[in-house]
Amino acid sequence: MARLLDIGLDRIRNLIMDMATLSEESVNAALESYEKGVMLRPQIFEYSEKLRILQLEVADFATELIARYQPVARDLRFIQSCMDVAYGFSRFGRYAYDISDVLEAIGAIPDCDKSYVIEMANTAKNMIKLSVESLKKLDKDTSKKLYMMDDSVDALYRSYLRFVLTPRDREYAYAEVRCFISALLILRYLERIADHACYISDCVHYIVTADSSPRR
Amino acid sequence: MTVEEVMREEEAAVAGPIETTDRYKVVIKEINAWFGRKQALKNINLNIKDKSVTAFIGPSGCGKTTLIRCLNRMHEMTPNARVDGQVLVDGADIYDKSIDPVVVKRRVGMVFQKPNPFPTMSISDNVAAGLKLNGIKDKNLIAEVVEESLKGAALWEEVRTELEKPGMSLSGGQQQRLCIARALAMQPEVLLMDEPTSALDPLASSKIEELVRSLKEHVTIVIVTHNMQQAARVSDFTAFMYLGEMIEYGATSQIFKNPEKELTERYISGKFG
Repeated sequence: MARLLDIGLDRIRNLIMDMATLSEESVNAALESYEKGVMLRPQIFEYSEKLRILQLEVADFATELIARYQPVARDLRFIQSCMDVAYGFSRFGRYAYDISDVLEAIGAIPDCDKSYVIEMANTAKNMIKLSVESLKKLDKDTSKKLYMMDDSVDALYRSYLRFVLTPRDREYAYAEVRCFISALLILRYLERIADHACYISDCVHYIVTADSSPRR
Repeated sequence: MTVEEVMREEEAAVAGPIETTDRYKVVIKEINAWFGRKQALKNINLNIKDKSVTAFIGPSGCGKTTLIRCLNRMHEMTPNARVDGQVLVDGADIYDKSIDPVVVKRRVGMVFQKPNPFPTMSISDNVAAGLKLNGIKDKNLIAEVVEESLKGAALWEEVRTELEKPGMSLSGGQQQRLCIARALAMQPEVLLMDEPTSALDPLASSKIEELVRSLKEHVTIVIVTHNMQQAARVSDFTAFMYLGEMIEYGATSQIFKNPEKELTERYISGKFG
């Protein structure tokens, strides 16, 4: 016979998976918006709001499960981690919205060199996918791979920052400044997204091993 | 001291079988117990830290009560029951032929599942019964011990004006605290509690739990409970038993957050039992 707690665990798992799908969609939409110059801000705002509401729902439901069933061991770790994971997914939505906000403020930038951002965006999207996969499969070993990817994201961000700050022998044109500002802001959000993907895999590691690997 | 430091200290205090008893009030060595031909306990080894609360958990029939009854030689009082192995209290084997079982029961008190005050005795006489049986007649001393014991059992304020009323006139929770006071009157070093709240309502249960936490300042407590959350709340260490064997023993925080054995995890998560 299934435990009553199992019904609750299934429900919270479904909520988390809904959030995973929405958060991937929101980041993809924001990056598509940057790459193709399509304004998707209202749609991304809607994603972000849904994620925020779902995060609250997960937190409420997790609290209710703890109060009703006093779960222990892996059940408790899973519920506790769901709250952290839900926060991570809600951050993905928020950063996606922030990216769309930058694009709205800066306006159309069709002539910018977008290679840095696109490279980092691809890595960040992969990291989201991997973190979601690790959560679905409860694969504790994904975190190592994600941290390695996070290192490359950090390196790319620093390298672009250095590039922008390198003194030139001429004044920047207004169009160039808009390119730099948009790219720097978006790279910063992508860097944060990558961090949260790592945190999600940390949660998976904790669920499986009870060992909370210290964040770097 | 932070919670983490306390937990580390608790975890550091957990150990397997040891040769010395310096750090432990009770050392259980290779205890086997039988009811007739049926073996109820199989080679149990356990070290119980002084002034701590240790909970025995496990499904019905796993041997929790048998084990706790071995700790003050009550098991052997059951017809056809026998025990083999050693239980050292402060290094002395309570099963040694030179040890008087009555003295053992004085040092290792017991509280049972159902409150069992002596039905014909007053509250005061219930507490003083053990003292009188041991030949103590000094009325002032007895009155002093009764008051101290009732205070120790957190019952004094509720009964101080009605000490001569029958013990049975108290509520179930008060009766159980009266039984604890009766045990405390003998100034035990170890207090065994066999499901002490299973017959009580939630409020009375929480009073007993608070009492357990405060009593451990002076007494080493071993508690048998079917209530997992109670074990998690009151104990410093938890031992999980199954089919007469000790499956896992460790700091309560570790047992309930990250048990080592799959069987323990399944039991405490309510997947069997």
